[in-house]
Amino acid sequence: MAHEDHDAIYDLLAARGVSRRDFLKYCGSIAALLGLSQSFVPEIARAVNQAARLQPAVWLHGGACTGCTESMAQLGTPDIATVVLDILSLEFADTLSMAQGEDALAAAEAVFEREGEYILIYEGAVMKGFEGNALRVGGMTGLYELEHAAPGAAAIVAVGSCAVDGGFVMANPNPADATGVQAYLEEKGIDTPVINLPTCPMNPDWVVAVIVDVLLLGSLETGAILDKLDRFNRPKYIFSQTIHDNCPRRGHFENGNFVTEFGTEEEAKGYCLYKVGCKGPQTYTNCPIVRWNRKVSWCVESGAPCIGCGSLDWVDVGAPFLNRHRDLPLPNIGNTQPSTIAGVVAGVAAAGLAVHGIGMKATGRTSGGAPYEEMKERDRKRMKKGGGE
Amino acid sequence: MAHPAHYREAHPFIFVMTHWINLVSIVALTISGFYIHYPFLPGLMSVARGMHFFFMFVLLINLAVRIIGAFTVKSATRLGSREVDTDIKNWLPQKLNRGQMWPWLKYYLFLKKEHPIGAKYGVLQKLAYLFTVPLTLAAAYTGFAIWGPTMDWGFFIAGTDAVGGPMHMRIIHYYIMWGFIVFTAIHVYLANIEGTDPSKLIFKWQETEGLQFDAEGKVIGGKGH
Repeated sequence: MAHEDHDAIYDLLAARGVSRRDFLKYCGSIAALLGLSQSFVPEIARAVNQAARLQPAVWLHGGACTGCTESMAQLGTPDIATVVLDILSLEFADTLSMAQGEDALAAAEAVFEREGEYILIYEGAVMKGFEGNALRVGGMTGLYELEHAAPGAAAIVAVGSCAVDGGFVMANPNPADATGVQAYLEEKGIDTPVINLPTCPMNPDWVVAVIVDVLLLGSLETGAILDKLDRFNRPKYIFSQTIHDNCPRRGHFENGNFVTEFGTEEEAKGYCLYKVGCKGPQTYTNCPIVRWNRKVSWCVESGAPCIGCGSLDWVDVGAPFLNRHRDLPLPNIGNTQPSTIAGVVAGVAAAGLAVHGIGMKATGRTSGGAPYEEMKERDRKRMKKGGGE
Repeated sequence: MAHPAHYREAHPFIFVMTHWINLVSIVALTISGFYIHYPFLPGLMSVARGMHFFFMFVLLINLAVRIIGAFTVKSATRLGSREVDTDIKNWLPQKLNRGQMWPWLKYYLFLKKEHPIGAKYGVLQKLAYLFTVPLTLAAAYTGFAIWGPTMDWGFFIAGTDAVGGPMHMRIIHYYIMWGFIVFTAIHVYLANIEGTDPSKLIFKWQETEGLQFDAEGKVIGGKGH
């Protein structure tokens, strides 16, 4: 009987050109991603297999470049992840829906009526600017759409940095007054749980991991998911270690082999990108492990320093991306590197000491030294006033 | 000749040692810190980081020893005198410091010709030296907040979040180092501009003769009187 149960999924997989062995290996990688032991592989495989009920989902776009959709679309050709993602019945997605206009919105509306049943995936920043008119969808403000969709959702998955905290859309000067989904919902008193998946764009394997965890392994139902989130509501199993911790170039860092300039021999040798601004030491994501583009590579492996897109406020905090430090915005002067400011302050101090030294020499204090006062000035004045102490 | 006598009682041997350890640690931390900030030579990252973490603990332990010493060791209450009292009293406001902040400022701004009366340390000197304690602790806190093994501790995460993330913590740590550099420059300048007797005492524990002072800060004799 059990064997027959398995047939359905293995037929489906075979139709996609995936063997049973590949599928189990993939379940193993999900287990690893979730921080579970390999003994969970059969359970994950069973959960995927038995996920008979389709989970309705709505994918909404705020102020987004659609990069996260693009990232998910990497899975457009048949592969194992799509088997998991097929569990989601994407009833509405701005970019992917076949239907258009009123019909498409009506499909979304039908899902919103199924309170507590659907997952809301939100991509892009929440743009509060211009009284919400920075983004308009279907004749309404983007804010209305979010406020309308969020309360009834079983959970919200904020995909990409923009949905998490406003991302590059909220970078200074932030004319659209962009913010993240969680912050906006808190402002509005809507307490639907939000799972944040930052980076620009987010990694589709994380969505798979979260879906397996939340829906198939029942983390949402039992509330266990809340314990698995860090203080920024990011799943700990994805965002608890820095890129630097797991970087394949880490050996070069320890050895002191650095790329100082692009186009050099050091770069060709694949040396560490720390000197050209890599933000890996302060960016908490598991990019080196999950990798990107169907696990082909990822930023640092392909030769670009990490720009820290998994951090909060990552554009203002990380730019200029090829520098070790961010710029500090000084009034009337503009963006300045902290080292320049430090150099100027220290230079002024050194010049001050030099001038003071000339003064000390000119007044004869450096050779003979000044005579000591007989009595404190204060006491002298008191004595003058009324006979003293 | 109008320099005070520098007697060993001013800096008991243990403080000569802690001063040396401070000097070596801060120089090592600054050089290795600059390297970690931007590795200007190839091949030394492990050495620099190793040095940085080693001297970080040395500096902190040394600070603890210095503070314990302040409460348990006696030192001279003023220059030009062998009269001693518990060292910590020389760090707090003393009778000879009272009302002397402004005269010291005026003296250094060339608005006053005479050397103001002071205790072992003048008012500004005490403020500057005492400031190095919170400065050291701040360097330690911000350093631990960006050091792999401790950056995830709740105590440090709270600070990292408060300043807006690890990048800002890194910059604050960097500026604290500059604080040490500027402090050291001024310290070295002021300690030696009127003669190198203070350096002879603190580095070589070598006494030099000079003016002697009574408890009221008045010159009562000695070489140069």
